[in-house]
Amino acid sequence: MREMPKTQLDPKIKKVWRISDAIWITLIFLACFVPFLIVACVAPSQTWAVIVMAAVFGAYALAMIVFMAVLPPIRYARWRFDLTEDYLEIAKGIIWRNRYLIPFIRVQNTDTRQGPILRAFGLSSVTVSTAAGEHVIPGLGSDQADILRDRAAELARIAREDV
Amino acid sequence: MKHRVHHSYMWLGSIRVGLSILFAYAIALISVFVQFFAKGGTRGAYTESLDFVISAACLVGTFVLVVGTMVVYQVISYKYLYFTLSDTEFSLYKGVISKKRVHVPYYRVQSVDQRASLLQRIFGVCTVMIDTAGGSSNKAVTVPYLTRQQAEWLRSELFSRKRGVQQGQRANAAASGSAAMRAPIGQAPEGSGNVLDFGSQAWEEYGGLFGGEEVETGRVSFEYGLSNKELLLTGISNNTSFLLVLFAILGAIGQIAQVLFGVFPKQGGDIAHDMVVHATGSAAIGFFALVAGCVFVAMLVVWIISALTACIGYGGFRARRRDSRIETERGLLQHTFQGVDVDRVQAVVVKQGFIRRLLGYCELSLAKIDAASANDDSTKSNQQAQQGMVIHPFVKLSRVPEILQGLLPEYQDAPEGLTPLPAVSLRRGLIRRCILHGSGFWLAVCVTAALAAINVLCGVQGFASGFEVSSEYAAMILKVVNYCCVALYIFAIVAAVLEAIGCVLWFRESGFAYNERFMRLVNSGFSKTEYCIPRQKIQYFKLRTNPFQRRSKVATLMVRTAAGVGGTTVRLLDVAQSDGSAWLAWGEPKPHAKRPTKA
Repeated sequence: MREMPKTQLDPKIKKVWRISDAIWITLIFLACFVPFLIVACVAPSQTWAVIVMAAVFGAYALAMIVFMAVLPPIRYARWRFDLTEDYLEIAKGIIWRNRYLIPFIRVQNTDTRQGPILRAFGLSSVTVSTAAGEHVIPGLGSDQADILRDRAAELARIAREDV
Repeated sequence: MKHRVHHSYMWLGSIRVGLSILFAYAIALISVFVQFFAKGGTRGAYTESLDFVISAACLVGTFVLVVGTMVVYQVISYKYLYFTLSDTEFSLYKGVISKKRVHVPYYRVQSVDQRASLLQRIFGVCTVMIDTAGGSSNKAVTVPYLTRQQAEWLRSELFSRKRGVQQGQRANAAASGSAAMRAPIGQAPEGSGNVLDFGSQAWEEYGGLFGGEEVETGRVSFEYGLSNKELLLTGISNNTSFLLVLFAILGAIGQIAQVLFGVFPKQGGDIAHDMVVHATGSAAIGFFALVAGCVFVAMLVVWIISALTACIGYGGFRARRRDSRIETERGLLQHTFQGVDVDRVQAVVVKQGFIRRLLGYCELSLAKIDAASANDDSTKSNQQAQQGMVIHPFVKLSRVPEILQGLLPEYQDAPEGLTPLPAVSLRRGLIRRCILHGSGFWLAVCVTAALAAINVLCGVQGFASGFEVSSEYAAMILKVVNYCCVALYIFAIVAAVLEAIGCVLWFRESGFAYNERFMRLVNSGFSKTEYCIPRQKIQYFKLRTNPFQRRSKVATLMVRTAAGVGGTTVRLLDVAQSDGSAWLAWGEPKPHAKRPTKA
């Protein structure tokens, strides 16, 4: 088997994942939890609402444990990429493991994007778009992101044919 | 310089709009008439006819007004519709109130298609569509109502300017001529004419009322059509006609069932006896035979009509190589023309459905980047987007190399031989196809569960009390149900066996191969699809594994190209991991490929 790419993401990405996942899970939890809370407040005699609330809360706690403690280190360990002169190689996925190889001459454009959480940690995510689909590297230091963007732009210029 | 479209844009467009408005009015009028006749007798004849006259006058008046407005709009918008060809881009200007301009750089032109309806064809005009590679939301640029002459001129101009931009200079006739010289010149294979060619030749000579003189657009180095047999087979095997036949059969079954249930007595009694009595009645037999016969004839007629439609749709099919372009045209009534530069071909696809496979024939098509449909006939465009550009709808497998050599000499050194799948894939494939995705297996499971539920949980007594029928009757019904289940089991076994055969076929014939410039990928089974993809056109390479695949040391290989609308992924399941990583290494840009000379 071809050896894994070497470069890892910035370790701070684990915190970013934790925060953004926590926000999402909490939002979904509230959306499921609040209606039953209202039912329980309006009609205290309904015991089933309390049972459902307990179940939802249990699921929430479980999801929080999985997404806060278990997943981020594994995801971080599995997420690797290599940035060579000519191509970008990505390996990711825990159960379904994917390997991508994207020649830079096929890259049409690269964007760097920064959400508020990423910005707080001084990271940016780089999106590499080909004519058919795009790939996101979620956490790169700003300097590395710039290197990647510039290289892709340069090689795209050299490319003989666009598609 | 501003180029205008043909003046038929004004009146032919108006006629089209007028006809559709007329249609809407006809529907509205029906209700008026119904009202008129329904009201008959309630009032005096005088007021009644006055009412009618007034409403008719109103309708005619509004119709004239609406059509007039449309005509005026059409005329005004004609004034503002033009296109220009600059050094670097094609620009289309349109719109009266909200102006719209579309600029297409020549090097972004993917393909230039033209389409003409019957009416347009009579007048020798057509609609030109310019496909661009603009990502997932790209739309074709549509230039309506160009004369044939203009269209051909525009097409050759777009392609030659595109070449010119790419080479850093305007391509001249000599250069393109020499390019054609390099391509081996092939003759049309023997027997490539068919009965409908006569019609298309007549069209060719007629050319339409305003068609204009034919324009020399380049040198044709290879050209072929369909033989009678191929055309007929294309028509017969056309999917839509098969679907129609299926519907007709279903309809026939429905009819028969209805007749049978009509024969069945309503009240519970001796069914068999009643049936015999009814069946011996000659009237019932006659009626049944009549219905069945009618259905059969109707089915046959529908099938023949749809086959004929498909034949006419492929009538006058020609595929040719002109300089560096590949062109196909087809359609005896509605004319479709597609033209694509060889550089823009994303892959060559050899597709064999089950029937084509039995006969040893295949469908040959080119995958190209398609624009999302910009105009109203979205279903048609989508269909075409799925198919790519068909360069031969029904061709004998042995003739494929010959055609490819003539049409696409660039694809000559495609790799031979295939890297087979590892032995473990057969086991995995059998498990996947016969059990996990196996319709036969799941049918058997469902039938077993249902049987158990009926026989064990309900039993004769439960059934009898549940439906309030006598226990003998319930026992009989249970027996019938059990026999049905046996039939279903047989069906499930047949399905499972077929799936297993398909899986073995898949295992034996699938595989992939690659050399310096091309990659070949075959997905087999009862139907077989073969892709030949230039390395240059692969957007990215992907290997995917799940835990079971990792244990068996296999991986799924996925190739992403930009073909179709928004890209296409071609995949091959269960390739040996070592082969897969070698393929991934092949995907790394090679030293000689990564620094092309700046031409």
